[in-house]
Amino acid sequence: MVCPFLCAQSSIQKKQITAVTGLFLILFVLGHLAGNLFIYLGHEAFNGYAQKLAGLRPGLYLVETVLLLIFLIHLYLTALLVWENRQARPVAYRQWQMIGEHSIASRLMPWTGTVIIAFVVWHLRDFTFADGDGPRSILSDGQSYGLYGVVYNAFADPWHSALYILAMAALGFHLSHGIQSFAQTLGFYHPRYTPLIRKMSNGLGLLIALAYSSIPAAVALGCLAVR
Amino acid sequence: MSNTINLTLHIWRQKNLNDKGRFEVYKAADIDTDMSFLEMLDVVNERLTKEGKEPIAFDHDCREGICGMCAGVVNGRPHGHLPQTTLCQLHLRHFKDNETIVIEPLRSKAFPVVKDLVVDRSAFDRIIASGGFISVKTGAAPEAHTVPIRRENAELAMDAAACIGCGACVAACPNASAMLFVGAKVSHIKLLPQGQIEAQERVRKMVAQMDKEGFGNCSNAYACEAACPKGISVSTIARMNKEYFAAKLTE
Repeated sequence: MVCPFLCAQSSIQKKQITAVTGLFLILFVLGHLAGNLFIYLGHEAFNGYAQKLAGLRPGLYLVETVLLLIFLIHLYLTALLVWENRQARPVAYRQWQMIGEHSIASRLMPWTGTVIIAFVVWHLRDFTFADGDGPRSILSDGQSYGLYGVVYNAFADPWHSALYILAMAALGFHLSHGIQSFAQTLGFYHPRYTPLIRKMSNGLGLLIALAYSSIPAAVALGCLAVR
Repeated sequence: MSNTINLTLHIWRQKNLNDKGRFEVYKAADIDTDMSFLEMLDVVNERLTKEGKEPIAFDHDCREGICGMCAGVVNGRPHGHLPQTTLCQLHLRHFKDNETIVIEPLRSKAFPVVKDLVVDRSAFDRIIASGGFISVKTGAAPEAHTVPIRRENAELAMDAAACIGCGACVAACPNASAMLFVGAKVSHIKLLPQGQIEAQERVRKMVAQMDKEGFGNCSNAYACEAACPKGISVSTIARMNKEYFAAKLTE
């Protein structure tokens, strides 16, 4: 029922719905990041935050359902737009120069997006549905440190960290195009502010990727070890 | 004093709409560097005609960069590599001796290739016919100063009206989207008082026609802006997006 409705929208409406759902997803990414950064305050603060969040159920289920729906709409519409775009040029150019300020990030959007989908599935299995008191939560001193321990143990594996950082790079790149696209698609343009928005979009994308990646980096550097 | 250069041309040849098309290689020898790109094609065509071969078909009209008829993708860029220059105003002094040049038609589902480098751009005409106009009652022309126009709007409208409808934006767009063209047309009429009355209906109809023609969707790569021979800004697309949003809200 939702899909035929979305399908029937015009090109600009599809883009605008993608932009608005994208904004909610960006807000989620920022909120999630703020929660993650509790890890720097120690295991009590981090686990306390996680427990407080879990304590919000069943209200949290509603939020999660809405978020999942937003994610699926964003995904479905972008897939539809990409498919339509592929149809629009049946014969490819023999020679092609990439021009335009946002060409690279724009053309990589479907790929960075795909990486993010794969990451979300892996990440949910990895952390969200992890057993907080199971063997993965036990650190070198033989004690369980809850979710903190799970995160620490996961990032103690360099391959795990590398994969995570790669996904965060994709997320950052996706957002660097997405944030400024949001303004353009909803029709905000100003000769002075638009160049600033484009710079801010790149900066915020980079910042988000760095902030998320700082946690596996901190584990690798031994900053988060429990003494 | 003029120099001459030799060029190797890889040109798309296609007999008609249904032909699959292929590249053919031509030599252009002793070409005067003061010639325009189209004059060089004229020289090649004269030779082909003398040899009894079919000349290369390409669109052209004014040859002074204002009509929007000429268009072709040269070495992967619509109208060639010079910024804000139409193909007819691109001169061979900007190419090197013994250079190989690939010349292709504008490629888009909405612009079917009629022959060689000639594409059917009537999709643009149908978009204009769907709403790119203002309705006025006939009669004596009113005195020019009866409708005041803000200077800023007059300038922006004129910038958007510089669009010659050549289709380079569609050719440059990774998605073959026509949003820069439609954005420019929506903008230049909407920015003037005469365009206010039908503004919402106009943007709805023009976007609907654009979608119907099979153009792709804008993904904000801004390649169109970089390729436009008239320097149309992507701010026109933002304005169209805003207009469309408002029109749909009040539908």
